[in-house]
Amino acid sequence: MENRAIPVVQTAGLCKNFKDFWRRPRVQAVKDLNIEIEPGAIFGLLGPNGSGKTTTIKMLLGLLYPTKGRISIFGKAPSDVAVKARIGFLPEESYLYRFLVAHETLDYYGRLFRLPKRVRRERSDRLLDMVGLTHEAKRPIGEYSKGMARRIGLAQALINDPEFLILDEPTAGLDPIGSRQIKDVIRDLGRKGKTILLSSHVLSDVEDVCDRVTILYGGQQRAMGEVNELLRERDVTQITTPPLSDDTIAKIRDMVNRLEKKEILSISNPRVKLEEFFLKIVEEAQAANVHTHGAGKAGAIPEFLQKATEATAQGAFVESLIEASTRRPTESIAPVEIPVGEAPAEPTRDVVDALLGKTEAEQAEPPAPAAPEPTAMQPPEPRETPAADRSIIEGLLGQSNDEASSDADSTNEK
Amino acid sequence: MSKTWAVARQMIAEGIRMKIALVFLVLLGTVVLGLPFAITGDSSLTGAVQSFMSFAFTATAVLLSILTIFLSRSFSDELVNRQIFLVMTKPVARWQYVVGKWLGITTINFIFLASSGLIIYGMVFYIKATHPPIDTRFDLAELNNEVLVARHAAKYQLPNFRTGAEAEFDRNLEEGMYDDREELNKEEEIGRLSRKNEARWRIVPPGNMRTFKFSNLLVDRTEGHFVQLRYRATVSRYPPDEIFRAHWRFGDPYRGATVRDIPVRHRADRWHTIRVPSDVVAPDNTLTVEFFNQNPYEGEPQFGNIFEFRKSEDVSVLFIVGSFEWNMVRLLVLMFCKLTFLSAVAILMTSVFSFPVACLGSFTVYVLAAGLSFVMEGLDQLSDDYAGMFSSPGEFLAQSTVYLLTLARFILPDFARFDAVESFVNGHNVGLVWVLQAVGDMAMMKTGIVLGLAVLLFHRREVAEISV
Repeated sequence: MENRAIPVVQTAGLCKNFKDFWRRPRVQAVKDLNIEIEPGAIFGLLGPNGSGKTTTIKMLLGLLYPTKGRISIFGKAPSDVAVKARIGFLPEESYLYRFLVAHETLDYYGRLFRLPKRVRRERSDRLLDMVGLTHEAKRPIGEYSKGMARRIGLAQALINDPEFLILDEPTAGLDPIGSRQIKDVIRDLGRKGKTILLSSHVLSDVEDVCDRVTILYGGQQRAMGEVNELLRERDVTQITTPPLSDDTIAKIRDMVNRLEKKEILSISNPRVKLEEFFLKIVEEAQAANVHTHGAGKAGAIPEFLQKATEATAQGAFVESLIEASTRRPTESIAPVEIPVGEAPAEPTRDVVDALLGKTEAEQAEPPAPAAPEPTAMQPPEPRETPAADRSIIEGLLGQSNDEASSDADSTNEK
Repeated sequence: MSKTWAVARQMIAEGIRMKIALVFLVLLGTVVLGLPFAITGDSSLTGAVQSFMSFAFTATAVLLSILTIFLSRSFSDELVNRQIFLVMTKPVARWQYVVGKWLGITTINFIFLASSGLIIYGMVFYIKATHPPIDTRFDLAELNNEVLVARHAAKYQLPNFRTGAEAEFDRNLEEGMYDDREELNKEEEIGRLSRKNEARWRIVPPGNMRTFKFSNLLVDRTEGHFVQLRYRATVSRYPPDEIFRAHWRFGDPYRGATVRDIPVRHRADRWHTIRVPSDVVAPDNTLTVEFFNQNPYEGEPQFGNIFEFRKSEDVSVLFIVGSFEWNMVRLLVLMFCKLTFLSAVAILMTSVFSFPVACLGSFTVYVLAAGLSFVMEGLDQLSDDYAGMFSSPGEFLAQSTVYLLTLARFILPDFARFDAVESFVNGHNVGLVWVLQAVGDMAMMKTGIVLGLAVLLFHRREVAEISV
């Protein structure tokens, strides 16, 4: 089982200098980059424009050669043709042939993977359905809007059912529906055990889908770690419930003050995200069969996009993926050291437990997993805490279980 | 191969949808379909067909050469528009991509060339059917026997002038004719005497005759088969008479051949073809032909011409060895070989340079390949044989260019050497050996070298490279 230890991507001391016409080094786009992506991870490459994200991706794909350092993809050089057969790539812009129609485009890329004709046709149909372009499949891509071209770009990236998917700014140019669909696709693929490298400067995209991120600035790695760990705000506790009466709120405020000797900082009605609201309107329009020349309603993820374990059933790679899906990624590369302040004091646990009505047995939590120490500065925005056991709160506040369960569906959605 | 062919198919799909390809297709169609209505040649049926074929094939070759260079734009466009990012991230080796592109352009050339050949073939028969004949029987016979055929042209054997020159040298030496010379180079003198004797042999004064001997004429000697004598007599008289009288005698009775006499009244400095039954060829496949200068001719006192057959090609015996159709196929193969090489050059250029630079480079190679011999000959004329390379800047330029072009010859084919349009139009056989040479030299070896170079350069290239 030698393959178990092989990460999908591993770079060591990766550097890239761009040169001028006279071959003199002018810009150091990437400096000493060390990343390691384990099988099954959704890894985010974050950074502002010009931070070296795309350059890194191009080096991983063999489109650029490193000035210094080492890259291995599935344990091999990026230029290895066999490695490329396991990769899907969506570039930052849809570099597609304008004169080909969608079907021809997918058929062409399918041919490059030597897929049989029947498989190519089947996959093309399913992918076009997935990206909602079935009814526009016979139009030349040159006539597509940017968002539609991005969708075809995603479809071509999945034509080979890749084990490793590289997405460079996947939601750029997409409307909120497309953006949401792509994020859903990424999440679904992640659940199927695919390894995904997502490069973006849209922070919400990365936050929504990635397990781990690294942040680049000026070509250098500034932080790396698990998203939840990096973003956890440790000095605030948030409880979300269905609408409460003023009386109940007053009781809670009093209880917190009495038991914790603390004031509740804010109590308000949370707003639904604009994305959610927008999608609801569009779904209603789609349900009413309103005609559009743009992308239509997207279909389900095609079943040919197998679970990574199925896709590689014959190889030793299977074991490494199984193992990857059951273990936490390890912090193997230490980026720039940023001192982490002392973790803020957790709220007194017995107060919370009393609030939630937990028994002693329930209070005995399993040992915390060996999460890597976050190495990044704390982000300014608070992150949602996991939803509490709502029925206990309802019971505590005297609400009926029926009400609680019906509301939970709407409020638990992210 | 399937990946290479996938790239090629994509190139074909792109090529046939490119506007520039459409423009060239329209131009080609206009030339091929319109020429029969515009060209009359020398007003004879044969002249019309020959002129049409000559212009149509030349236009096809030129237009497809230019189109080939423009089609290669697809390669540089994919680099500029970054479509190559997606292709190179698929499991396609770089050599497969380069060869696929070349294969795509070559296939487009094949389709266009074959289509053009078919249309030309059809138009030839259209002209044959619709051209107003002067003498139907004669015109059609001339066309069928001299143009719409594949004839092998046999050259006559030149007498051994050196033997005579050596004997003359010895005689001159004995008679003391070289006594006043300070230096005498025997070889040079024998060469001079040989050339003098040959020049003397090539002229036929009034009342004289000349014998031409041909061998290895593998013809069917049975009744109904013919051989043709094609000749052109240059008249050495000032002012030259346009018309001359002569007498051709075919066959050597001592070798068992039938003797046939053909008196002619022809125009000077023009090509003429005399058709005689093939029984004039002896059973040992030799043919003796005698030419009598009958000038001044009785009753036509103005004829006092001295004839000269300056080149060996001026007199040849032709006999049919194949059909017009297969001859055309072989001609098209020769043309295709050139396009194959040119495609490789265009791919090499676009894999390294941006399209404008690559386009200029490809055209330069095309022009050099088409006129390499001519350019080298011209430069050689400019250069002083006895001057040193560094004697003057001009000499340095001329000589260094000659050296460079001599080196280029290893990669550049000589297009002129494989130009068969004139032979084909004259009904000459485009020999299989000739075609095989073109395939081996141009389509395989030199195309392979250029394509290998393109693969090598592209393999080392960073496709996403940017200069800052």
